[in-house]
Amino acid sequence: MNTVIELDGLAVDIGRRRILDDLRCTLSASTIGLLGPNGAGKSTLINALLGFLKPAAGTARIFGHDVRTDIREIRKLTGYMPENDAFIASMSAVSYVHLMAELSGLPSGAALERAHEALFYVGLGEARYRKLGTYSLGMRQLAKLAQAIAHGPKLLILDEPTNGLDPPARQRMIRLIREMRESGAMHLILCSHLLRDVEETCEEVMILKQGRMVHYANLEEERRANRKFIEMETVGANGTFAHDIEKLGCTCAITTSNRIKLILSEGVAIRDLYQIAKDRNVQIRRLNYRRDSLEDIFLKAMETDVMPNGAANGRL
Amino acid sequence: MSENGITFENVSKFYGDVLGVNRVNLSIPPGITSLVGPNGSGKTTLMNLMTGLIRPTEGRISILGVAPDQPDRLFNFTGYCTQFDSFPRGMTGYQFIYSYLLVHGKPHVEAEDLTWSAIERVKLTDAAHRKIAGYSKGMRQRIKLAQAMAHAPRVLVLDEPLNGLDPLVRAETIALFRSLAEEGLHVIISSHILHEVDAISDQVVLLSSGYVVAEGQIHGVRTEVEEHPMQILIRCTRPSALASRIFELDTVVEARLHNDGKGLLVRTRDPDRFYLMLNRLVVDGVDLESVAPADDDVLSVYEYLIGPDGGSI
Amino acid sequence: MAVYKRSYHGYAGPLTPEWSRFAIIPRYAYQRLFKSKVMTVFFVICLMSPLVFLSLIYVANSFGSIAKMFGATGVRSPITVDGEFFQIFLGVQSFLAFILTCFVGPGLVSTDLSNRALTLYLSRPFSRAEYVLGKMSVLLILLSSITWVPGLVLFSVQSALAGTGWLFHNLWIAWAIFSGAWIWILVIALLALALSAWVKWRIAAGALLLGLFFVAAAFGQALNAVLDVRWGGLINLSILFNAVWNDLFRTQQKADISASSAWIMLALICAACLWLLNKKLRAIEVVR
Repeated sequence: MNTVIELDGLAVDIGRRRILDDLRCTLSASTIGLLGPNGAGKSTLINALLGFLKPAAGTARIFGHDVRTDIREIRKLTGYMPENDAFIASMSAVSYVHLMAELSGLPSGAALERAHEALFYVGLGEARYRKLGTYSLGMRQLAKLAQAIAHGPKLLILDEPTNGLDPPARQRMIRLIREMRESGAMHLILCSHLLRDVEETCEEVMILKQGRMVHYANLEEERRANRKFIEMETVGANGTFAHDIEKLGCTCAITTSNRIKLILSEGVAIRDLYQIAKDRNVQIRRLNYRRDSLEDIFLKAMETDVMPNGAANGRL
Repeated sequence: MSENGITFENVSKFYGDVLGVNRVNLSIPPGITSLVGPNGSGKTTLMNLMTGLIRPTEGRISILGVAPDQPDRLFNFTGYCTQFDSFPRGMTGYQFIYSYLLVHGKPHVEAEDLTWSAIERVKLTDAAHRKIAGYSKGMRQRIKLAQAMAHAPRVLVLDEPLNGLDPLVRAETIALFRSLAEEGLHVIISSHILHEVDAISDQVVLLSSGYVVAEGQIHGVRTEVEEHPMQILIRCTRPSALASRIFELDTVVEARLHNDGKGLLVRTRDPDRFYLMLNRLVVDGVDLESVAPADDDVLSVYEYLIGPDGGSI
Repeated sequence: MAVYKRSYHGYAGPLTPEWSRFAIIPRYAYQRLFKSKVMTVFFVICLMSPLVFLSLIYVANSFGSIAKMFGATGVRSPITVDGEFFQIFLGVQSFLAFILTCFVGPGLVSTDLSNRALTLYLSRPFSRAEYVLGKMSVLLILLSSITWVPGLVLFSVQSALAGTGWLFHNLWIAWAIFSGAWIWILVIALLALALSAWVKWRIAAGALLLGLFFVAAAFGQALNAVLDVRWGGLINLSILFNAVWNDLFRTQQKADISASSAWIMLALICAACLWLLNKKLRAIEVVR
């Protein structure tokens, strides 16, 4: 797998504050999630990769091109969907995407064809001939995505793509991202606060904290986890149910009134839990092995101390 | 009108010809209630009605016994955190909260105390004396929340309060809402993130195009959607053997082998009886790996009742 | 039967040459501009007025024949086509150009800034310089076509009618038309662009541009009167240009401002506009 992004001691300042410090890693997965608390430097990293901010030290390379010297080449290969609204209110979606595709270098005819293709792909139908100023938020997000893909980039950077979208629109956006990933034609960087979104779409995750990378996880590997943790949702259980489980020797924790997390001890099987449920007339509405979900990975990463020099600590 | 609830009786709100909400009947108890629906379905209208910012065209509203036409009483115990990211210019976080408390009529010392406790509750103590214009998006969201809670309201109306918050702060804010709900407050939240709604709400109100299409506890709502029998996904080593056993139950209407061959999708009209029966089956020898409702959550109810395109074009 | 599934795929076709990309902006701008009927009609009017001057040139050159038609002989033409003639022409056309700029200019950059579209421009292989060049071209091309282009056409017609002797004697007028128009176009275009970038609301930018002209003029007069000086004219754009044009077209009129100070002042204005553009046209806004 060829390297998509290589961060080589990248440091970025804004004013006199150092926002990113000594980032070093190599990213090559087809979809990479970028996570971190507010102020960790995610937007700064994206701005640096796009050449909007100059590195104070070190550098970054995208598909082998250096951001310090070759930024024009990089911009030819990337598509960007910014977090904030970005549109020209007086243009229709078609002319807007057409303009953007032409600015990326496509000849006018090809640009128009690809603009329509992109708009169709994201699901904007007849509405594409209306002015962007009349669009709802969800439609503007889709138009933003269309302009990011129309010129066929090899790397797509999405910053909070589901921001403000209602549930059906959010589902469609996630579905689109997955389709784009599966098409194999491009790599994606997804920056989001919604861990669910990242979990559903990304293969690898990079977590930033205070300008340094504190964790880098491959989600597929994490999913082949430890099979001793179990979580259950019940109906009709009272305290005795959990008590009975503990009598078996398992450690139990009750989160809300009907959710139980437990660790199966040696020799205890799921059947034994069901025996208790049958005896106590309790319905087990949900039971599954609990994998280290992204939320746990994230929370653990947040507890990592940021090292004063050099790369951050690896996985906990 | 009970003293302990928010009630809407046949409430309609029109903006000229444009529909806000139509014939809404709701009774909201204490705890966390979530308003869910596509953009434009009437959530913000409902919230504005609840906080007394607009008056209904028809119908009656009562918030803890007080009607919205008594704003001097109503505004004392309601707090509203809107979805809009606008603030008075040039203010610091501290001034923002403090000045509104003065408007509430609190004397200086009490207002100062309340301001600091609100700021501490959202963990913005360090940034309190900085201008809001310099805050990050997450900080602005938190200062809005602090302002809504500062005067210790009994009804808290929050429009997309977790927007822009990173996962850590989300979890902390959700814990904050839970503790407020346990204190007996009415916390009304509107959100698009349905799995969070699932996890934190006591009840849910689903809106579509200005109508309430469902309300209540999510499991209760689900069982009432009869056109769609409940779907359950069971993963086990021999799903086909399980399927034959399951059909002995007359409430099971459909059993389908999952694509990957290791699971069974079951549809049943009576989930209570089904689950108890499943206990017996597992004890008798079915090697079960996991069981989960495939559609007993807000997302599925949303899709059934409101539809994947938001109901109407 | 075949079922076609649409999925995402990259672009592998030819690309346009990089140096020509700035011209995409004027192309789109003109498409949008000339959809408006008012704009098209006004533009045509701007092209009509040179026709009036054309007829005056004809009359001037053929006065003898025309007079004979009416039976008058030995009458000299009241119209002489000289530097002053062309200066008046330029003055009229520049005024029309200014009105055109007030319509076209303000919307150029403010529509891109008000909804953060500039980030999208700059995330492509497209620099800020190309962006400014593209936006300036919208105005430069438009304004050129109603100032020095018809001006030079009129000059060639006059040369054709008046003969090569006149041409050699008055070649400097051609240069005056060209440079006088260009200095006007440059300053007005830069001002319009800078204001459009500074004030995000289109209509306010237009009002500012108009205001700049008239209010500054009034202010300049007031300064002169109150402080009893002569240099108040330095902030009066029309006085500045008159000074420069008088110099170029060699018409001597009493002026408070010398031509060189006018040139310097205009250069300063251009520099200020460029500085403002540099400050305002950023891909990302950083708030401390």
